[in-house]
Amino acid sequence: MNWNCATTEERLTDYLDGALAPEEAAAFSAHKAGCAACARMVAEVSALVSQMRRIEPLEVPVHLPVRILDATLGPRKQAADWRSWFDWLGVIWQPRFGMGAATVAASFAVLFHAFAPVEKKVTLADLNPIAVVRTANRQAHLTYARGVKFVNDLRVVYEIESRLGPQPAGIAPVSEPEAPQPSHPSPSSNDPHQKSQAVPHTNRWEASADGLLAFAEADRWSDDNTMRSRP
Amino acid sequence: MRRHTRRVYNLCYRFTGNGAAAEDLSQEVFLRVYKTLGSYQPVYGAFPTWLTSVTRNLLIDHYRRTRRDRITDSIDDAMPQIEETHSPVRSPDKVLQAAELSEQLQRGLARLSPELREAVILRDLQELDYSEIRTVLQVPEGTVKSRINRGRIELARVLQEMGVRPA
Repeated sequence: MNWNCATTEERLTDYLDGALAPEEAAAFSAHKAGCAACARMVAEVSALVSQMRRIEPLEVPVHLPVRILDATLGPRKQAADWRSWFDWLGVIWQPRFGMGAATVAASFAVLFHAFAPVEKKVTLADLNPIAVVRTANRQAHLTYARGVKFVNDLRVVYEIESRLGPQPAGIAPVSEPEAPQPSHPSPSSNDPHQKSQAVPHTNRWEASADGLLAFAEADRWSDDNTMRSRP
Repeated sequence: MRRHTRRVYNLCYRFTGNGAAAEDLSQEVFLRVYKTLGSYQPVYGAFPTWLTSVTRNLLIDHYRRTRRDRITDSIDDAMPQIEETHSPVRSPDKVLQAAELSEQLQRGLARLSPELREAVILRDLQELDYSEIRTVLQVPEGTVKSRINRGRIELARVLQEMGVRPA
C-alpha cells in the first residue's frame, strides 16, 4: 500500500476514531514510525482532540435565560406598582365567588332569624352602642340568675322530698339512753337524727317544709321580672 | 431549557468569540425556534439537532453580516477580542488552567475558516456524531469528516504557532 504524508493527513480522523481497516492501520503506523513530521502532527492533533473533549462547556450568563423568556413569552409583569397590592381582589371579583358569598350570607340570615333571641322588634334606638352593651350585660346577668335560681329550686325540692319521704327501712333511728327532751332541743346539737328524735316528728317537718316553701316562694318573687316568663 | 440554552450559547460563543454577540445570537435563535416551532418535524432530526441547525444558520448570517467589520478590525488587531470565560467553581490552579486553555483554544478557532471552525466545534466541543453534523451542515458525511480532519490539523498548527503545546 502506497502510504504517504498526504494520505496520513487525510485519514487522520479515521485513525483517531479507530475506523481504519487493519491493513490501513498497519500502513498508517508504519508511515508514522518512519516520518517524524507526521508522527509529530498525529501526536499534536491527538492531544488537541482529547484536550478539547475535556473542556467543560461555558456557563450561561445568569440573565440570558431571562432575556430569552422575555423575548419569546413577553416581558414579565412589574410588581412595583401600588395597584398590584389589590391584585388579589381579582380573584374575589368573579361571578362564582359572588354567588358563593351570597349563598353563605343567605344561610346565615336564615339561621339568625331562626335562632336569634330577639323577642321584640328591633328599633334604631336599640342599635345604640350603649343600649347594646346594656342589653347584653342585662341578658348575661339574667341568664346567670336563672341558672342560680334553677339550682336553688332543685336543691329546695330535693331537700323537701328527702325530708318528707319515708325513712329507708335499713336505717334504724339512733336510740338514746336517756328519755327525749319534750321541749326545744339543745342549740348546740346539729345532728339531724338527734333533732328528729328530739322534736315531734310531724309538726317539726311540716314547719320546716312550710318555711322552705315560703322561702322559695319569696325568693322566686323577689327577683326581677325574668321569672314571670317562666312557666 | 437550561440544557438547550447552554448548548446554543456555547456554540455561538465558540464560533464568534464574543460574549455579547453570543448572547444576542442565542436570544435570536430561541426567538426563531419559538416562532417556527409549529413547523418542526421529526424528519429534520432530533430536536437538539434541529436547534443546532437553526443556530448554525444564524451564525452564518451573523458571519456574513459582520464580515466588513472584521476586515476593518483586522487591520488594527489580528486577533478577535476574547472575553473572560465563566468557569465552574474548582481549585484556583484548575480554574486558571481551564480558563487559559479555553482562551487559547478560542483564539485558535478564530483563525480557522468558518467551515472548518464549525465542523471542529460541532465535533469536538459539542460532541455531535457525524450523522448529526451532516444533518446540521447539509453536506455529505465524507465532506464532514474531511472538514473535521482539516480543521483539527489546522487548529493544531495554529496553536503551535501561538506557542501553545497541547498536553
